[in-house]
Amino acid sequence: MRKNKILIACFVAPVVITLALMYVYPVVRTVLMSFFRVESLTAPTETWSFYGLQNYFTILHNSSFKTSMVNMMLIWLVGGVITLALSMIMAVILTSGIRGKKFFRAAIYLPNIISAVALATMWRQYVFNYDYGLLNDMLKLIGLDKFQWMGSDTKFWSMLAAFIFGSVGYYMLIYISGIEGIPQDLYEAATLDGAGKVRQFFSITMPLLKGILKTSITFWSINTTTFFLWTKMFSPVNTEGSTIVPVVYLYDTVFGGKGVVHRDAGAGAAVGVVLTIIIVAVYTITNVLIKDNDLEY
Amino acid sequence: MKKLFALLLAAVMVLGLVACGPAGNDQTEPPKSTGNQTQAPPKGSEPPQTNAPEGKKYEGVTLNYWSMWNAAEAQGKVIAEAAAAFEEETGAHINIEWKGRDINTLLSAALESQEDIDLFDEDYTRIGQVYAPYTADLTEMAAAANYDAVSYSVFNNQSIAWAGYLNSITEQPNIGGVFYDRDAFEAAGITADPTTWAEFLDACQKLKDNGVAPLVQDSAYTNFSFYYQLTRHIGEEGIADLRENGGWADNAGAVAAAQEIIDLVKAGYFADGTPSEFPSGENKIGLDEAAMVICADYVCAEVDGNTESQTNWGVFNVPAVEGGVSTAAYMGTNSLAITNYSENQQAAFDFCLFLVTGEWGQKLADEAHQIPADPNNTCSSLPGAVETLLAADAPMSWCGELNTHPAWQAMRDEMTRLFAGAYETGADFCAAIDALY
Repeated sequence: MRKNKILIACFVAPVVITLALMYVYPVVRTVLMSFFRVESLTAPTETWSFYGLQNYFTILHNSSFKTSMVNMMLIWLVGGVITLALSMIMAVILTSGIRGKKFFRAAIYLPNIISAVALATMWRQYVFNYDYGLLNDMLKLIGLDKFQWMGSDTKFWSMLAAFIFGSVGYYMLIYISGIEGIPQDLYEAATLDGAGKVRQFFSITMPLLKGILKTSITFWSINTTTFFLWTKMFSPVNTEGSTIVPVVYLYDTVFGGKGVVHRDAGAGAAVGVVLTIIIVAVYTITNVLIKDNDLEY
Repeated sequence: MKKLFALLLAAVMVLGLVACGPAGNDQTEPPKSTGNQTQAPPKGSEPPQTNAPEGKKYEGVTLNYWSMWNAAEAQGKVIAEAAAAFEEETGAHINIEWKGRDINTLLSAALESQEDIDLFDEDYTRIGQVYAPYTADLTEMAAAANYDAVSYSVFNNQSIAWAGYLNSITEQPNIGGVFYDRDAFEAAGITADPTTWAEFLDACQKLKDNGVAPLVQDSAYTNFSFYYQLTRHIGEEGIADLRENGGWADNAGAVAAAQEIIDLVKAGYFADGTPSEFPSGENKIGLDEAAMVICADYVCAEVDGNTESQTNWGVFNVPAVEGGVSTAAYMGTNSLAITNYSENQQAAFDFCLFLVTGEWGQKLADEAHQIPADPNNTCSSLPGAVETLLAADAPMSWCGELNTHPAWQAMRDEMTRLFAGAYETGADFCAAIDALY
């Protein structure tokens, strides 16, 4: 038994040490940094000066940060509802025995294997472009005026639409795996009892997918809080208020931007802490609201 | 059976490890570049130090250079060639790491930890203000090399003003202004560059009458364009005051600047769809659909590259306005700097000058379509640019008096709306900006 303990310790130690160095240390340092006035991300700790909660007050009073939070919440809520609903609908359709299931599944998942940079460029330049974009060509075809899809008031929604397009396939696969795990005899029994497809969806599929839904919401929340690349691609030269999200605000705060030399790693750390708290809160609330252990199959 | 299977798997694994392992000891070539790190082409198969003929000035010296460029772009190619030529001439080997434009996210940490870097390049505003504690004082070396004769005083003075000493060598100067298609101007009968707002409006009308959209503006640069206009009326000091205290709607200059943009929109001087999504607006100049854009000089290379055209570019300063206080032009540069802990500062300095002046400076300007860092060279991409830089004494910043405002991102959106024609009057726009305070 003694030998076993040593063996266990030997096996576990590399993981624990790596985790402590690569995860715990940065987290602790970031949390500490958020209470200090620090200019550079890698400034030695002796140059830090205690700042209390001032970094948090600074970001919470900053209108760009507030805008970024509103944008993030819109992505989470509006984008989340649309993405998860579309994914579930497509998953249900593809598991209902339609022809060409494999083709449609691959086609819908395809955007996930294309680089997001290429995908965003395609949307910006070939779909939303005012002069030669696909959407305006279609409007012209039916005799309507061209529309500025990438204006200050519309750019956020264009970006969100493109992001949803790229995300649906991923969540659809998750739902498909969940639906395929539901025993077929439940559906057969329901069919014998006279339940239609819609009734089967709401009475069998939905309740038995609670666990999958909870996982999807958690994944979506993480995707939303770490939303970065799409904003960068839709504001290629410099950050714009219409597309800014907290991680981009954090990035600009810590590293500066075009023509901006001011840096504030302490405020950036505070943004990171706030985002972490949000993810933990969403995860906790989801766990409380969605109980998936009341059904067994 | 299981044991046999396990043995087979083990054998496959061992074979795999052997196959993937390093080559034998007889390999004499220096290691090839991996990832984003490359080395200047070595001579022959020998390591550079041993290959250099005896008596060379920096024989055995290796300089580590972190570059903001990528190996595949024009600047990167010329730099790699220049590094090889410098090695041939002096014996110093330049080890280049291509960091790309995100070098600003890496440099602070690297310099703070005194990573093995001898020289690097970046925006001179950050070299002068952020990295200054880690940069060498180049004053004496510059004086000995008569650097003043091969550089622009406007950037040297600014470097000294920020850092307290000369801490950067100009590599890629930029100027801002109205960049235009000379052929479109000629076809419209415009014979002289506009210098006043009235002349500018007259030129716009002539271009419009000739069937060309006078102006384009991508949303990415609407803030820069409006900042220019604002500078004309109240100067950067006035903008600094607005930044601190607000009161845009009560400021006649700010209202007038916004009104002038609105007037341009209402007169139909902007191309359809303005403000466009970068770079589709500026590309219209290369496609002969528009004539002018307010930006910095790299717009010329962007447009020519994007549209595969050879636009006959010209540039003039953003026109003065009646009762205005400033005619300053934006000027900036990407520059080279040497670390103050480098053990080979003189060699690094010599390489910097080797790269940006004379033959290689000309090649850099020609290949990258940029303004030469050495004013003795010729600017083939933008006639008049060198003279403009030589005549300048104080540059206008890149929105420097506004871009640290907490609501800057929201202000930028309002400026884009201004160019989209969302405001009826300049006062309306200024009231919207005031509401962001």
